[in-house]
Amino acid sequence: MAGSVLAPVPASTAPAAKSRVRRSLRSRRTRSGLLNGAPIVVYMLVLFVYPILSTLFLSVKGVHGGLTLHWYADALSGANLAVLLTTLRISAETSLISVVIGFLLAYAVSRLRPLWAGLVMLIIVVPHFISALVRTYGWIILLGDHGVVNSVLVDLHVPGAPFQLLYNEIGVIIGTTSVMLPYTVLLLYAVMRGVDRRLLAAAASMGAGRLVMFRRVYLPLVAPGLVNATVLSFILCLGYYLTPALMGGARQTVVAALIDDEVMKQNQWNGAAALGVILLVLTFAGLSLLRLARAIGASARQRGAA
Amino acid sequence: MIGLRSTWAGRICLAVASTVILLFLVMPIVVIVVTSFGKDALGSFPPHSWTLGWYHQLFAPGSKWPGALSLSVLVAALTTVFSLLLGVTAATALVRRDLPLRSAVYGLVLAPMVIPQVVIALGLFLLFDPAAMLGSPIAIALGHTVLAAPIAVLILMATLRGIDERLEDAAASMGAGRLTIFRRITFPLAAPGMVAAAVFSFITSFDEFFISQFLSSVDTTTLPVQVFNVLQYDVDPTVTAISAVLIAVAVLALALVGVVRRLGSGRESGLLPVDSTAALPGNEVP
Repeated sequence: MAGSVLAPVPASTAPAAKSRVRRSLRSRRTRSGLLNGAPIVVYMLVLFVYPILSTLFLSVKGVHGGLTLHWYADALSGANLAVLLTTLRISAETSLISVVIGFLLAYAVSRLRPLWAGLVMLIIVVPHFISALVRTYGWIILLGDHGVVNSVLVDLHVPGAPFQLLYNEIGVIIGTTSVMLPYTVLLLYAVMRGVDRRLLAAAASMGAGRLVMFRRVYLPLVAPGLVNATVLSFILCLGYYLTPALMGGARQTVVAALIDDEVMKQNQWNGAAALGVILLVLTFAGLSLLRLARAIGASARQRGAA
Repeated sequence: MIGLRSTWAGRICLAVASTVILLFLVMPIVVIVVTSFGKDALGSFPPHSWTLGWYHQLFAPGSKWPGALSLSVLVAALTTVFSLLLGVTAATALVRRDLPLRSAVYGLVLAPMVIPQVVIALGLFLLFDPAAMLGSPIAIALGHTVLAAPIAVLILMATLRGIDERLEDAAASMGAGRLTIFRRITFPLAAPGMVAAAVFSFITSFDEFFISQFLSSVDTTTLPVQVFNVLQYDVDPTVTAISAVLIAVAVLALALVGVVRRLGSGRESGLLPVDSTAALPGNEVP
């Protein structure tokens, strides 16, 4: 871009000279690009790619050398398999709930006037940058037997109150959802702001009922954002264990907690590495699902346009 | 939902639901701040009587918090430096230069944001354990930089895109050297973005748990790891006060970003007589 402005080649110059100037300019830009790009590439290769590759290697290394799938068999059987299924269940529950209530909130914000929308987005974004650990602790205070939530429920004479809200799955879901919610709201809000309201008006003018309008026009328009938010929050939940560790019971042990335990307490690195690789594979599966969904969406849009 | 919005009852329903959801986000934070000033730190809410005692106790002799706090600040400061150095060069290469395999580099830089942090932490543990670097603040900072650098790169890329390259070209055409251009044009315009990148790198490191947990040793624990250990293993009412401190740090940091952004927003529009908002990211229709 700058090249064209920076190279005020006189019109009389032969085309050959012109292209030489341009080529040398381009190669300078390339050299400078390589020089500037090298630090982060080297950094990520050494401190990100290599560690993950060594994890991969460790997960197939036998006790006495040689390759083995023993650690994977171990990770996918018995109690470990139960932990993996728990992780998938908690991640699925959390991402679905965060997307549903995130949808509601993002929709409400997208209909506000800009000033109010900015203020409400501030309330959503600020918690996002406050330590998840601290927010989890806040939930522990709120959800205890004598915590605010239960005392309010008791005062309202809700039958069955006080409820057990901590150290079980309800607690984990509440805590993790509040950690994931800002993500989903941000992702959904970005898509909803881009929705052309005139399309809805057009549908209404042609006699579409409100439900039809929502189902046939609005939902397809925000569907990419919904898929994005669901899959990304699911992926983020997979490797997350602060909240399950602090707000869950023994039955809410997740894979990440198991990895921590195997490394820190049992010195069982190979097993931990296999569990890590399984998380990695699940993450890549999620990401490719996302890519597939995008491709399907794009082709559907093309067909719609044709 | 569209049906809901158009009737009064629907509007009220949506407003009530949104308020409840917002409370859901805000309550855990409010409850900590309020409880940290209450006499019975682990007791009822709202507290019956008030005190600053827990904050005093944070710095009482024998408290484990000052050590953890200073380690966290040191690690976060190192991370900020590393991440800015990597971020500025990487953003320059990605936005302003020709980079072979550009999209592959971009993917590599952003990958740490989607890979489970526990996997990154495990890999770093395997890297630093043989080097006997567990517990070293530098090792923890190097690890945090893996997570902080992508954020810095994203912010700085957006910043560089927002700077009109013609300003630099104009300066060059009037004979300014490269250093002068950087010092007088690029740096002042990029400063708000660099502050934002620095602040977000700092918070990322300051709040990071997984990598710290895997790379810390018995006598070097960062603040989040210490908080986690207290919450999981023993009951210590001062943890409420330290949590409130963590909240305050995050809020102040965000406020700093907001203020700097506001101060910087007038700069470029004063330099160029064109509508600069047209070039800002976010105005593109997806």
